[in-house]
Amino acid sequence: MTKLEQYIGRYIRQVAALILASTLTACGVSNVVIDGSFPTPNISKLPLTVAVLYDDALRQFSYMEYSETGQEEINIESGQSHIQLFNAVLPAMFDNVIEVQSQAEAVSSGADAVFIPVIEEFQLALPSKTRLDVYEIWIKYNMRLESAEGDYIADWVLTSYGKTPTETFRSNEAAINEAAIVALRDLASSFSLSFSQVPEVRDWLNSQ
Amino acid sequence: MKTIESTKSGISKKPALVLVVLLSVLASCTSTTVDEFRQGETGIENDESVVILGRRQASDYETRAEFVDCVGDRMTQGANAISIIPEQEFVDAMFPWFEPRTAPLRTQDLEKLMAEQVVADKMDEFGVRYIVWLDGFTETTDRSGSISCTVGPGGAGCFGFGSWEDDANFDARVWDVGTFSNVGTISTDATGQSYVPALIIPIPLIARVEANACSRLADQLKGFVNGG
Repeated sequence: MTKLEQYIGRYIRQVAALILASTLTACGVSNVVIDGSFPTPNISKLPLTVAVLYDDALRQFSYMEYSETGQEEINIESGQSHIQLFNAVLPAMFDNVIEVQSQAEAVSSGADAVFIPVIEEFQLALPSKTRLDVYEIWIKYNMRLESAEGDYIADWVLTSYGKTPTETFRSNEAAINEAAIVALRDLASSFSLSFSQVPEVRDWLNSQ
Repeated sequence: MKTIESTKSGISKKPALVLVVLLSVLASCTSTTVDEFRQGETGIENDESVVILGRRQASDYETRAEFVDCVGDRMTQGANAISIIPEQEFVDAMFPWFEPRTAPLRTQDLEKLMAEQVVADKMDEFGVRYIVWLDGFTETTDRSGSISCTVGPGGAGCFGFGSWEDDANFDARVWDVGTFSNVGTISTDATGQSYVPALIIPIPLIARVEANACSRLADQLKGFVNGG
């Protein structure tokens, strides 16, 4: 075998390995763990002690996006980023915030109320599917406020939306992360500004 | 010996110089129009600053943060430079009042917002005199041509020709934070044709449409805010 033949053989093997690697990468599920930082809201604090209960569904929340052929395509893990967000927002809204692991712990904490956020729905819109030049994320929440003893105070729905434009040299994962951070900031702004305007919450605050 | 060296260098520089001139002539095929509509008196003190914010309420586009940064950077340079507060720093410090859903859309909304003590205090802290709202985007149209590239054991190469047109449209509305009024609007429209001829190597001749829109808009805004 001449040197030229050896060189061509090695070249073909390298190209084949590259094609195989990229094919395998394309077939796998891409995992996106939402990561970002959230500023503290500049709002007036309410003179309340609020316990916050993050259930396991919220802590481990993830969303799977499927391809048009039904294959698992993108897994988005946003549970921890939601907790990080609420941990930044709640201390700016209330005088005292305590994180509890159960309703029983909330009773002994002496909190005025227990806040329980729940993610009800998560939607992702990719430019490859919508033919728009933006990545979009919608999240629907159910916010619950109970007394320390577990009695109903308020229960309301909040939606948040985030979008980010497509950019050359930016990966799908980075764009999804960016859109999710915008959606989480949207949640923080609407939640912190509308909290005391929810009719049941307003009535409860007036009775305090 | 010295003469020969200088002659050789002169010969090798000529085609490069011609290529640079040719590229800059071809790449600068951009036309920019700037319109200014003044509605009030302006002027700025040394201890006052301007914040430039991108509008992000539209469903199908949003003003790119890079364009907002570009205009801000340019306004801080040269004669009569203005102190500009970076967009992200301002939006984070003002959180949650200047998010896409909560940002004031009209000057009356700004007046209501300033009634919030925390907002007024932060504005004072920054020394904001004017808020400039940038709204717009760059659209690519009229794509034509094609380039095909091949890779083989003997090497790689491309052949073909591609072209497209970019159109950047941006409006800048200037709000006076002291009087809660819109003191003027500056509109920029820049268009340019880009080409990519490929003969073995693709040579991109890109029209710097958005960059031109940024520099012209920034220069006009600087003059406007300074009262010129």
